[in-house]
Amino acid sequence: MEILKVDSIVKQYGTYRAVDNVSFSVSEGKIFGLLGPNGAGKTTTIRIITDIILPDSGEVYLFDEKMNPSLQDEIGYLPEERGLYKKYKVIEQLEYFGMLKGLTQRQANSRAKYWLNRVGADGWENKKIEELSKGMAQKVQFIITVMHNPKFIILDEPFSGFDPINTDLIKHIIMELKEQGTTFILSTHQMHQVEMLCDEILMINMGKVVLEGNLRDVKKNYGKNHLIIEFSGTGSFLNNIEKDKIIDISQNRLEMKISNYAEAQEILRQAAVENEITKFEIVEPSLNEIFIDVVQKSMVEYEKV
Amino acid sequence: MKKSNKMWTILQFEFLTRVKAKGFIISTILGPLFLIIIMVIPALIATTSIGETSKQMAVLDDTGYIGKLLVESDKDKFFLTSKTPEELKKDILSEKLDAYVHIPSNVLETGKVEIYTPGGGGIGLLETVENKLGDIILERKLLDAKADSSLVKFVQNGIDVSSIKVTEAGVEKDYTEFYSIFGYFLGFLIYGLMFAYGGIVMRGVIQEKANRIVEILSSSAKPMQIMMGKIFGIGAVGLFQLLIWGVIIIILSIAGSSLLPMFFSNSNPTEMINGAMSGMTQTNSNLPFEIPTIPISVWIGFIFFFFAGYFMYASLFAAIGSAVNQEEDAQQLQMPITMALIIPILFMPVIMGNPDSTLATILSLIPPFTPILMTARIAATTVPSWQLFLSVVLTLGTLFLSIWIAAKIYRIGILMYGKKPSFKDLIKWLKTSE
Repeated sequence: MEILKVDSIVKQYGTYRAVDNVSFSVSEGKIFGLLGPNGAGKTTTIRIITDIILPDSGEVYLFDEKMNPSLQDEIGYLPEERGLYKKYKVIEQLEYFGMLKGLTQRQANSRAKYWLNRVGADGWENKKIEELSKGMAQKVQFIITVMHNPKFIILDEPFSGFDPINTDLIKHIIMELKEQGTTFILSTHQMHQVEMLCDEILMINMGKVVLEGNLRDVKKNYGKNHLIIEFSGTGSFLNNIEKDKIIDISQNRLEMKISNYAEAQEILRQAAVENEITKFEIVEPSLNEIFIDVVQKSMVEYEKV
Repeated sequence: MKKSNKMWTILQFEFLTRVKAKGFIISTILGPLFLIIIMVIPALIATTSIGETSKQMAVLDDTGYIGKLLVESDKDKFFLTSKTPEELKKDILSEKLDAYVHIPSNVLETGKVEIYTPGGGGIGLLETVENKLGDIILERKLLDAKADSSLVKFVQNGIDVSSIKVTEAGVEKDYTEFYSIFGYFLGFLIYGLMFAYGGIVMRGVIQEKANRIVEILSSSAKPMQIMMGKIFGIGAVGLFQLLIWGVIIIILSIAGSSLLPMFFSNSNPTEMINGAMSGMTQTNSNLPFEIPTIPISVWIGFIFFFFAGYFMYASLFAAIGSAVNQEEDAQQLQMPITMALIIPILFMPVIMGNPDSTLATILSLIPPFTPILMTARIAATTVPSWQLFLSVVLTLGTLFLSIWIAAKIYRIGILMYGKKPSFKDLIKWLKTSE
């Protein structure tokens, strides 16, 4: 079932088109990756979805209802740029933001306490934000996003500022909420997180959709075009390889793009002459790789136009 | 959830967090002190004219009787001497003596007296001697001219004009001076409060923008609700503060009504303040010390124009706050608002001098000036009802216009980061429709 449907949204700032005819939909209970380089139009897209700004044209539907201010309460939004009142107490702010999402003060208070406990922040209620570390403040911010039990959550760089332990904690909470049927949009530059969490992805660049689909399909469609070879020896065969194709090279490891299997066989044959081969593998490209590739291609397209 | 509830939530939060803050308690206590300092101190300074000198002066008297009278007028400052001028000059140089006054024998004819000092001494020194000696010589001359004692008294006291107000119920004593001062005071209070609370609104908006709180807020409520919630919330803080002051004043005036006359037994405070405020020459009016009742219409006018002015300016302050990224950038954009608030204060003495003049009427009807000037006029004089009506209409119109303008700028400003916007940008935002 479709939770969110974005239909041909356009947003123009002066002569600059921040979002150019973007359409997509997000299914219930999925984690949807919204990717793109800096300045691609992700934040503008998110602001349109959250009804912070209105599109110049196009529509957004949430739970089959055309976007309107009352739907804001159904969304949990963690902006990339975090913000809390430095001088006010944790509990004051949690109650306030909870009430702004439609909770009563009593509800907000008990949810706040539940979540503080959940993220290992018991006893922070009366601390001021300025007394907290960055990671601690991030947790408070995360609680604000989820405390009103939204069925639809947008997380923009949710892991920034967290150490690996807290990153895991947040990931666990995300997965748990997902199991309960919550739908997510996850926007991040950390591609390995996307690979681990997302079901679907949408990549935009310069306001336009450049890649979309199921994460597995996207990777599959990109083809098994990566060769990884590990060796010990002189490595003289490396001199014959086209520089553009090399992705990563080190003392005794090579990762490169190949056009076909024959090319891989040829490299293996050359390498075997003077080296001992310890690993030879043809794999899917990483999402990181796809990201860079797609962005570069779309730039070329753009320059042609 | 309904729209109004979100604004109410914001209003409540703004009100409660601010009222609980230390700043509120401090400003509630220091606000009146500050006001007293800037209003009463100059008044006190002005009443004591330039301030009597604290120096001690020897009196070298050639007339044989005027010197004695001078010493009698103030034994702390003057004492008779029999030393020669040379000896006195030596004493001054060796710092044994502050100064000496030489009263020549022909003083009644020439009216000329000399003071010898080591240099300086201030105008206060000259004035002290001039005033004291002036009275003595004047009295002496009048007596010499065989004037009767009632004439002497009359000349010394001057004349006293008191005004009588004609009302439906007949005539009553009119406290024109008191009402002028009171009008001045109210106008000044509105000015101060609008600046203070407008500034609080602006800083609040800047803080929310700089700390990126506004992104969360605007994903929960509409910009208009956020802005108005803040303005109402801070306005409520202002009202609360006024109430506290009001209650304190009432308590103090009840408790102190028996004590006050003791404090003011020697001088008349109304007159004192008046002298300083309007720069008018002091008159020896015999206003009794009692606080004239302030008509309820003045209070209604004050409350109305306080709020109208607050909303008018606070919304513009909010707009400016939304446009900038940090407080320092706000200075330039704030200029027109600052001007609009300061101009009426500059005209205040003139207007209070003649609150019914054409100038006063016109200025007080210009909407940005109305809150300060009309409040002052209502207190000081009887403003014709057509002017009151017109000012209310114009003020309300301007107030809604400025909220409308502010909302348009705020809505775009809060989400705009990067370079500091110019007035041109703000106008462009105004035209942007969404």
